[in-house]
Amino acid sequence: MSILQAIKNKVRSRSIHVSYVDVGSCNGCDIEVLACLAPRYDIEQYGIFVHNNPREADVLIVIGAYTHGWEEKLAPLWEKIPDPKAAIAIGNCPISGCCFDRRGSYVDPPVSKHIPIAAEVPGCPPRPTEILNAILSVRDLVFADWEVKRR
Amino acid sequence: MKRTVDVNIPLGPVHPCFKEPARVKCETKGERVIAAEVELGYMKKGIERIMKGRPWQEVMFLAERVCGICSVIHNMVFIEAMEQISGIAVPPRAAYLRVIVNELDRMQSHLLANFSYCYTIEHETLAMYLLDCREQVMDALERLTGARVTCAYMIPGGVRCDIHAEDQVVLRESLDRIEKELHRYASMFGNGPMIALRSRGVGILTPVAAREAHVVGPTARASGIAEDRRIQHPTYKQLGFTPVVRYDCDNYARIMVRFDELFQSIRLIRACLDGLPKGIIRGGGICKAGEIRYSGEAPRGELTYSIKTDEVGRVVEIQIQTPSIMNIEACCHSMIIGADSIADVTATFVSADPCIACTER
Amino acid sequence: MSRWIYEQDLVSQKYRILIAMRHDRIIRQIAADLGIGLQDLRKYFIEHLDMILLENLPARYEAALAAADHGDPVARAVGRALYTTYIPIVPPYVMDSIYRHVDAQVKSGTPLIEAAAKGRAMIREAMEP
Ligand code: SF4
Repeated sequence: MSILQAIKNKVRSRSIHVSYVDVGSCNGCDIEVLACLAPRYDIEQYGIFVHNNPREADVLIVIGAYTHGWEEKLAPLWEKIPDPKAAIAIGNCPISGCCFDRRGSYVDPPVSKHIPIAAEVPGCPPRPTEILNAILSVRDLVFADWEVKRR
Repeated sequence: MKRTVDVNIPLGPVHPCFKEPARVKCETKGERVIAAEVELGYMKKGIERIMKGRPWQEVMFLAERVCGICSVIHNMVFIEAMEQISGIAVPPRAAYLRVIVNELDRMQSHLLANFSYCYTIEHETLAMYLLDCREQVMDALERLTGARVTCAYMIPGGVRCDIHAEDQVVLRESLDRIEKELHRYASMFGNGPMIALRSRGVGILTPVAAREAHVVGPTARASGIAEDRRIQHPTYKQLGFTPVVRYDCDNYARIMVRFDELFQSIRLIRACLDGLPKGIIRGGGICKAGEIRYSGEAPRGELTYSIKTDEVGRVVEIQIQTPSIMNIEACCHSMIIGADSIADVTATFVSADPCIACTER
Repeated sequence: MSRWIYEQDLVSQKYRILIAMRHDRIIRQIAADLGIGLQDLRKYFIEHLDMILLENLPARYEAALAAADHGDPVARAVGRALYTTYIPIVPPYVMDSIYRHVDAQVKSGTPLIEAAAKGRAMIREAMEP
């Protein structure tokens, strides 16, 4: 591994910009992601910064069970995120549709049909610590040695 | 119709200030907003269609998942509607426990709303203080019900679990702590000169416009309309409830109404703990056929369930009218019209505490 | 009007809002009241109102029934406030002329029901594009 790669790894592990997108949830997972910002969990001590702008993001947090309004929007949004990038599905909704995937509903889960998902956190809703843990493990798996792996 | 419009500015669906996807299309002339249109459809899950034909045991959990922020009140209104249909009586201890949990839920929701507003006007210090305070409320909620969000605490004829003596002590202690902190934050917000610049006189909602759109909840109470479904609720009647009303009609008033209601909730919980009757927490009952329209006061305002059931307790017809529908409508068609800048649009929109998941269901 | 970027077709989503239970009842009532076809009214609403207003139709309709046009039978019969401020179907200036017309007819001796039917017809006319 070159020195340049080592520096990149070091820098990337301490600066993760997160953007979250809600594709039709019940808000339960939404507020648990927000709760990660609270001083108790203090997401910023790990160098994770939530600011909801896809063009600067490294990690996209996907919440909710994919409704029709997102058909023309989620994939372009995913393309706008610069490499390296990873998407994390939070909650049962993006994984299986939770209680919404029934006859007569308007949802179309799972989200992994539409964009590639790197990690999934089940739970209805998962606790903030679990969400934090998922982001941290994805960081080590996806962002370390990214240039080497791409080759 | 022809209009002179300089720029059309769409906000959303993914926007740094909005927690949830909604698209507000503003037509501006210079910096002034002259019209706004809302585009939804990003959260339409069709939950009412899923509920149809299912037994109440399933609908109870689905009702919670209409909105995760105010899940307790959705549960409560659905269960109370079923009780009204079937003539099930609630033991007094359970009725008081319901009020305690409901008020804790209202506290966390109001704290979240005020956090969002402070975050939107970029007062991050106060926002973080409030979010920290909310975690303490969530702890209390978890201690009582066993889960942070979607706790399914209420069931027809009572509640799921009792409150122990040591829980009461812990709850009282944390209430004292929260109240002390909240006094500080409320005065920080109320007396901050910079906050006043961003909030006072911005986003005026006149009582006339509020009545037209049938605005409810803190948004209505900040415009001088003393409407609160808790006045009609039997348990709140026993506790001597009076609604908080302010007459300024602007963003500042809406946030301050929420702060005042936080203190009021703390008082109500204390009153419940003081007068908690002894006895069982769960009576029996059978869900029957019937039809009802029942409302309760959610953190955002009046929440109405229109339910029709059959004789085995299955839901045949259901329609939920959530408070955010009215509030967002009034917000986009009256409050943000004439806003002096686009920056005020996001602040005003957030001050009405919009919840898109409720709105579209 | 200038065009929006990322525009998508909202008709099916707006239609979904209108077929919910209470919305459906309200729309049937309005359609019967105005004497136009159900699908025509739905189409009109989908084309002219934005989504949040569609969601809010039942609440607005009920607020109108509770508060609008009390004390003026003519205004109530033509739905003067109901069809302008509460549910914006016709612009206020058109409604004013309709109201004046019906009012004049009632004053000159036509029974209220007949005059109101004339008013309905004028509203229908105003709704034609
Ligand atoms: S997983 Fe559960 S809590 Fe999370 S959005 Fe879905 S229904 Fe809501």
